[in-house]
Amino acid sequence: MRDMGTLLEQLTSTFDGVRARLDDDGRMRLEAEKESVMSLLSFLRDSGFDFLQMVSCVDWIDRGSMELVYVLSSYPSTDGGSGDLLYCILKVELPRDRARTVSVIPLYECAEPYEREIHELFGVDFHGHPRLTPLLLEREYPVPPFRKDFDTRKYVSDFFDSIPPVEEEGGAQ
Amino acid sequence: MDRNQLVKWLESPAKMGHKYSLHAVYFCTGCGIIEVPPSITARWDAERFGVLPSASPRHANLFLITGYVSVKTLRAIIQTYDQMPEPKYAVGFGSCPINGGMYWDSYNTIKHLDKYIPIDGWIAGCMPRPEAIFVAVTHLWTLIDKDMADGYKRYRKHYAAYRANQEKALPGLDWPPLFPLEGSE
Amino acid sequence: MTKMIWYVLSPLIALVVGILLMGLSRKLLARIHWRVGPPILQPVIDLIRFLSQKSASHGFLFDSGLILSLAGSLVLTLFLPLGQYTPMSGSGGLLVILYVMLLGPLGIAFSSGGAANPYASIGISRKLMLAMGYELPLLLIVLTVMTGYRTISIVEVVRIQQAQGWAIATFPLLLSALAYILILPAILGMRPFEVVGAAQEISSGPVVEFGGPHLALSTLQHALTTYIGLSLFVNLMLGGGSNPVFFLLKMLVVFVLCLCVHAVFPRFRVDQAIRYLWRWPALVAMAGLVLTVLMGG
Repeated sequence: MRDMGTLLEQLTSTFDGVRARLDDDGRMRLEAEKESVMSLLSFLRDSGFDFLQMVSCVDWIDRGSMELVYVLSSYPSTDGGSGDLLYCILKVELPRDRARTVSVIPLYECAEPYEREIHELFGVDFHGHPRLTPLLLEREYPVPPFRKDFDTRKYVSDFFDSIPPVEEEGGAQ
Repeated sequence: MDRNQLVKWLESPAKMGHKYSLHAVYFCTGCGIIEVPPSITARWDAERFGVLPSASPRHANLFLITGYVSVKTLRAIIQTYDQMPEPKYAVGFGSCPINGGMYWDSYNTIKHLDKYIPIDGWIAGCMPRPEAIFVAVTHLWTLIDKDMADGYKRYRKHYAAYRANQEKALPGLDWPPLFPLEGSE
Repeated sequence: MTKMIWYVLSPLIALVVGILLMGLSRKLLARIHWRVGPPILQPVIDLIRFLSQKSASHGFLFDSGLILSLAGSLVLTLFLPLGQYTPMSGSGGLLVILYVMLLGPLGIAFSSGGAANPYASIGISRKLMLAMGYELPLLLIVLTVMTGYRTISIVEVVRIQQAQGWAIATFPLLLSALAYILILPAILGMRPFEVVGAAQEISSGPVVEFGGPHLALSTLQHALTTYIGLSLFVNLMLGGGSNPVFFLLKMLVVFVLCLCVHAVFPRFRVDQAIRYLWRWPALVAMAGLVLTVLMGG
């Protein structure tokens, strides 16, 4: 498990289309297709990365893609005492106009709130997620507000500035 | 401070009681709440002015809104304000409740809090120091003295307009109106 | 005629002393924390403010429970000797006091139950748990005092102590006094037993739904509870007082001692409090009872 080099070789030989790279600080960076996410993650989980730290999302509007970032780590190696942290970063690109993928909750249960939030703020659809109900937002938005084509200033002037002040003449002040 | 003048107590006990027993709701929005612990503990000691944090809105008559207000927080703020017994005073703390502050172009932060609930006074700054709370409290005393801290009366008077704005910001308000909507403007 | 005056004067003195003690506690707490603190009359200012506000009522039980509680506490002050004056000295004595003492928490429990606020329910369940914790040592202590002085009348207990020396200074009863000191903060609801009105955890517990006049009544009830707890201790263990001034001075000393503990301690969880109360105070009180029976027999 400690030997990241062998793990890297195993990965590239087992999975097609996985681009893997080992950084100087011991982090492993993987880029994969969205079809192979489940098999790749279950392989990584069985080989020691038993903790999904977080799921993040980046909107690359020029490339026309949404990038999901899974940050994996492991419990025994982070508090093992040897000092070197074990990280694996898995990036998956989705087409921006049809951003949907499969939920990884069967593998990592802690992905539930992350996927829910990404669905809410980026509009990525996770197939198999039990409840994709709003978590943070109270209102409906024309496009999910964290997408790059969401114009916050226009939204503010359209919505917040349209609410009239209650007392024009002012009160005590 | 005219707390020790017996004549004033005999003239208008209720007003003096409201002045010198300001109990503030424990309600934390945004970053401004970090200024409140020093001001109620040993360093600045708000209790010498009669200002005491109280855990329940039913006990309180001062509502200090400390920092930016997201749309979700607005729901809680309106509920808390409606639960406080009258007379009640609301003070916006920091520049974010005034006009959005550094979140002026945010998609989810309320600009101009006074469109949703009546505000009796503002403390400007980002962040105001704890001294500013005491300046505000002494200023609020003068306002109460001159019957100018009338936020709760304005709320009754213009309740229909306030309620309309609240419903606009929060689709599907799930509680009934506090006052009858017909009588107010 | 003078006896009739004390029927009115005794509850009034209890209320005033209770409120002053509350103000003193806030001032003294502030001084221990190195603060300036509010004026001593701050609870009076708060009461004026509460009474001038309107509050939401949650039904008949909500209002009447509070009145029941306050009435119970006011009646109880009639049975407690205030110096040499006891309005209702003839009847019942300690047994009646033990029964009427239950009315205060019970009324607050009714009232908070009427409010249907979950924080109030948690506070009330904590209150009853805590009462279960300190009632056992308290019953043992009262039993010891009754056995030691061979009377159930609290007036008689005070009279014997005035003649023969305080209970805290005679040997087997010393143990009871010690146990009583250990449970006194729990009876007064002070730290380390402040589990009931924990503002930070359960939003002041039972009083969470009270506003305006309701809150004023519950503040008065709290003041009376403080007075009753201290008064019972002084009467049973410190020999009461030959006149009301001495009596109130003794109460003040005990209260300040409790306050010093209150100012510097954090609070127990409710299960820790029960475990403590049923172990050490109960053990010491039991030892006192056994020794009293053996030596007195």
